Amino acid sequence: MSARLRNILLWVVALAVLILLPQVVEDRYFMHIAVMAGIFTILTLSWNLLAGYTGQLNLGHAAFYGIGAYTSAILAMQTGLSPWLGLFAGGLVAALFGLMLGFPALRLSGPYLAITTIGFAEILRLVAMNWVELTRGSLGLSGVPLLTPIHIGDWRMQFYFERDYYYVVLAAVLFTLFCIRRLIGSEFGVTLQAMRDDEAGAQSIGINPSSYKLAVFTISAFFAGFAGGLFAHFARLVSPELLALHNTFDVLTMAMIGGLGTIAGPILGAVSLTILSEALRSMEEVLKIDIRLIVYGLLLILTILFMREGLVGVIKNVWARVKGDR
Amino acid sequence: MDSLFLQQVLNGLITGSVYSLIAIGLTMIFGVMKISNFAQGDYSMVGAYTAVFVMAWVGGWLGWIGSVVAAAAVVGLLGVVTERLVFRPLMTRWTDIDMIMVSIGLFILLDNLAQLFFGATPRMIGDPFGGTTVDLGVASTSLLRLFCFFFAGITIFCLELFLNRSRMGVAIRATSQNRFAAQLMGIDINQVYRITFGVGALLAGVGGVLYGTLFAIYPTMGALPTLKAFAVTILGGMGNIRGAIWGGLILGVAEALGGNYIAMEYKQAIGFFIIILVLLVKPSGLFGRKEGA
Repeated sequence: MSARLRNILLWVVALAVLILLPQVVEDRYFMHIAVMAGIFTILTLSWNLLAGYTGQLNLGHAAFYGIGAYTSAILAMQTGLSPWLGLFAGGLVAALFGLMLGFPALRLSGPYLAITTIGFAEILRLVAMNWVELTRGSLGLSGVPLLTPIHIGDWRMQFYFERDYYYVVLAAVLFTLFCIRRLIGSEFGVTLQAMRDDEAGAQSIGINPSSYKLAVFTISAFFAGFAGGLFAHFARLVSPELLALHNTFDVLTMAMIGGLGTIAGPILGAVSLTILSEALRSMEEVLKIDIRLIVYGLLLILTILFMREGLVGVIKNVWARVKGDR
Repeated sequence: MDSLFLQQVLNGLITGSVYSLIAIGLTMIFGVMKISNFAQGDYSMVGAYTAVFVMAWVGGWLGWIGSVVAAAAVVGLLGVVTERLVFRPLMTRWTDIDMIMVSIGLFILLDNLAQLFFGATPRMIGDPFGGTTVDLGVASTSLLRLFCFFFAGITIFCLELFLNRSRMGVAIRATSQNRFAAQLMGIDINQVYRITFGVGALLAGVGGVLYGTLFAIYPTMGALPTLKAFAVTILGGMGNIRGAIWGGLILGVAEALGGNYIAMEYKQAIGFFIIILVLLVKPSGLFGRKEGA
């Protein structure tokens, strides 16, 4: 079997499992977790696009998520815009903010960039808290409309249950994955990696790092905003909490544990940590304490110290060993 | 100038002196080891809780002094331990991202361990002076707050003595100027790292007692001192101790005035506005020199 055929087969099997999953598992709570895992997959993929492929550490990613959520929710509630368009509008507005932040951020790196992006997110969080007429402050916007039903001929799909949203989020993850894979595989993506590994070298062959970084900042923000819109219409509640620093920390923990600078890594990290955190939450009844974030912190430290390539690296190593034994 | 203005300036200077103290620890660690430690504020949190326990045990102004000493010891030790376990292994193969992320991991860990051990209820360090106020003519403040200000000053003075007069202090300064040359001169670089990190954490711990004296103490309080310390450090130039002293005072006064005259709701954001401005105009900080303690 050729490698290409095997790849296609793998994709088809994976997709079939994912599509059939809700038919087998009917538990609504499980579907809820699956939806959140999907939303975090998009967030982590988009964060990793910037951190993993350009080496720029954005600690304000939650701001883009929040901007997308607020934009989509406000547009649907105040202008009656279809939530389907709102998802993309949220992404676009987030992208606009990404562009705005990207300009000053280009000149910065390391701790300077990290703290500037935190500042950006914190300022916007305070705006969301205090612009009460628009955002209802710390109460947040509740009763965000559901995604509107789709009619195609006689076929009609409503979006009411977790399972319905599961399919929407699955499609959104595939869309994100498709875009990011295309981007990374293209000449653009190769240039990014060249820049990350040797910026001076890339410059010497006529690459302008600034415009590339700016483009990635904007694209990364777009997908985060898109994920925010999905969350808004799924959870039906948007609050300033979405912009808080700990959301960004969750995302970077997922990316790191999965494997920074890879495509499979963020997916693995987001899905496994979402499941792990639910498992730990159910243990809370037994242990009487919430150890979820203690485990997150510990895993993040251990990953950086002992398995820098993340889960993807571990799987690669195991795979290589299995192949070698044959 | 009305008295409200001067009152706010005084309040700002007092809070600012505490910011300076915590930020000096951060800037020292950065200057010598090039580590941006996002867990710095958690060292302050541990220092503050140490004070809560000592004060419950001893009390009075003796208890307050005792808590500063205890916090210095506990947090200094914590700093040495975390340096050895978390940061040292990365010193040979670090990238900016790894160092920042590992310190974020430490931040998440310490924050949540504190929640586990100390509970979510906010604590206070009592006022050993029974709320005595001091009238300075144009403005007044409590004796305790004034005491905090002087204590921050004394601690910074002791640090200056240590860095300028002791052998280890000179070794630390030499390492921050040129690590390789320092090694060639026979300085034990790992020892320098250990002491630098310990002292940097210790300053945050002492700062935490003062911070906890001025504000409420709760497990996740560490985020604010971390962010303030970074703001101060960037304002004063990363790795620049004098810069951090002035930066802290400037941030404290700016917050007090901004909170009073512009918008109370955005008080916590003032530091960020300032650093974004500084980074756009003069990325090396307000106080000249690029790097080196």
